[in-house]
Amino acid sequence: MKKTVTVLAISIAVVLQTAVVNRSPLPWGVAPDLVVLTLTAIALRSTPVVAAVTGFCAGLALDALPPADSEIGRNALVLSLAGYLVSALREATVRSAVRPYLVAAGAVLGVSLGFAFVGLVLGDPRVTVPNLMVGVPLTMGMTLAVSPLVLTPLSALLRRLSPEEYELVGASWSSGGGAK
Amino acid sequence: MSRNSFRSRFVLGILVVTSLVLVVLDSGEGAEPVTEGARTAGDTVFGPVSSAVSVAARPVEAGYRTLAAAPGAAERIQELEARNKELAAELDSRSLDEGRAEDLEQLLHLSGLGGYEIVPAHAVTKVTSRGYSDAITLDVGERDGVTDGMTVVNGDGLVGRVTRAGTDTATVLPVTDAASAVGVRLEDSRKIGAAEGTMSSLGTAEPLRLELMDADAQVEEGDRVVTLGSHNGVPFVPGVPVGSVTETHRTPGGLSRTGEIAPAVDLGSLDIVGVVVAEPAEDPRDSVLPPRPADERRGRR
Repeated sequence: MKKTVTVLAISIAVVLQTAVVNRSPLPWGVAPDLVVLTLTAIALRSTPVVAAVTGFCAGLALDALPPADSEIGRNALVLSLAGYLVSALREATVRSAVRPYLVAAGAVLGVSLGFAFVGLVLGDPRVTVPNLMVGVPLTMGMTLAVSPLVLTPLSALLRRLSPEEYELVGASWSSGGGAK
Repeated sequence: MSRNSFRSRFVLGILVVTSLVLVVLDSGEGAEPVTEGARTAGDTVFGPVSSAVSVAARPVEAGYRTLAAAPGAAERIQELEARNKELAAELDSRSLDEGRAEDLEQLLHLSGLGGYEIVPAHAVTKVTSRGYSDAITLDVGERDGVTDGMTVVNGDGLVGRVTRAGTDTATVLPVTDAASAVGVRLEDSRKIGAAEGTMSSLGTAEPLRLELMDADAQVEEGDRVVTLGSHNGVPFVPGVPVGSVTETHRTPGGLSRTGEIAPAVDLGSLDIVGVVVAEPAEDPRDSVLPPRPADERRGRR
């Protein structure tokens, strides 16, 4: 059941991101990153393996859906790392009401910079420091502005579907989350 | 615990390596069967979804545009919101049809003047990908004879070139994008140079950067430039209006003249465009440019 919800949530996020959000005439030409938000919510409630695979699949879909002007695998690389890191590091953070939002902000920052870094390595002429200075904070702001709409319901849903895991996070028990 | 963390690191390693291999495969020259297959699948899935969303979002988009156009009239808009939305949607669709007919006529005029063979297309989407660039999607693809590298024009001039042609869709790199460079020729003087895009993320009306090969070239504000054309008409066919010079920079001792060009095409309001599928038999030179206003001509010569 949790598996189904995970797959559904990330699929809906990818379709919404590519078909609706990226195409709407938003101010300043930046768009909130729904995929990273959804991935954060999933990664905070699953094992690193599940989170990394989810991020990889979502990234691959983002790369392949037209009009993709990035190389295939660029988003997949960044998002699988992001999913893994969020999931692996969640135990190191203090659990509180604002934690998902802080983690999401960090994830958006990391994903934007990671994406830019891969572009830099590949010689993408559009990655420049002024672009990053303006674009990354704007993307973070936009994403955080819509984050309550995505994180809150999705976290609540995933928590309801796996109450025992929620109780035991932080204990030595950590296997089997992906097999649910 | 350690077995688990080993397993998850192993999976992560596989995913990272796979992504890196894909990136390297895809960033190389030429078509790779793996990544092309993925793109074709993406095309097939995305086509129907995209058109469905377009239909569903049209009234919303119309409302958004109306609201954005009248920020000062917020109270009045609130009062008339329900009525306004209906009217806006109705008006929008009517003027959309009229505007499209006009666009198409201009496009036919331009292609007739230049002798280009074109496939008309509808600019479906204009997207922002992580804030770096704007890419335009057209609703024509390989099925209509469109292939990578073809020139895209509208009634006013050059829009860009096709970077990726799918079965039913094609992605266009606009001429203003920072990754785009076009070989150009000044009208009358026939001096050649290059026009590079400068737009990176914000705004859509940024000028092109003109660089002329000849440091002594006579160039004045208002001079118009057309495409130089490439071998076999790919990626650019000759003679398409690019824009007019708005500013020239004098750099004493420089090896080239530089300046700025205002694009002939308003990329913010693209609708009907044409993909040039066959280049003209002979270079149309300046014949595609609209006639210069008479008074300006007298003052200049």
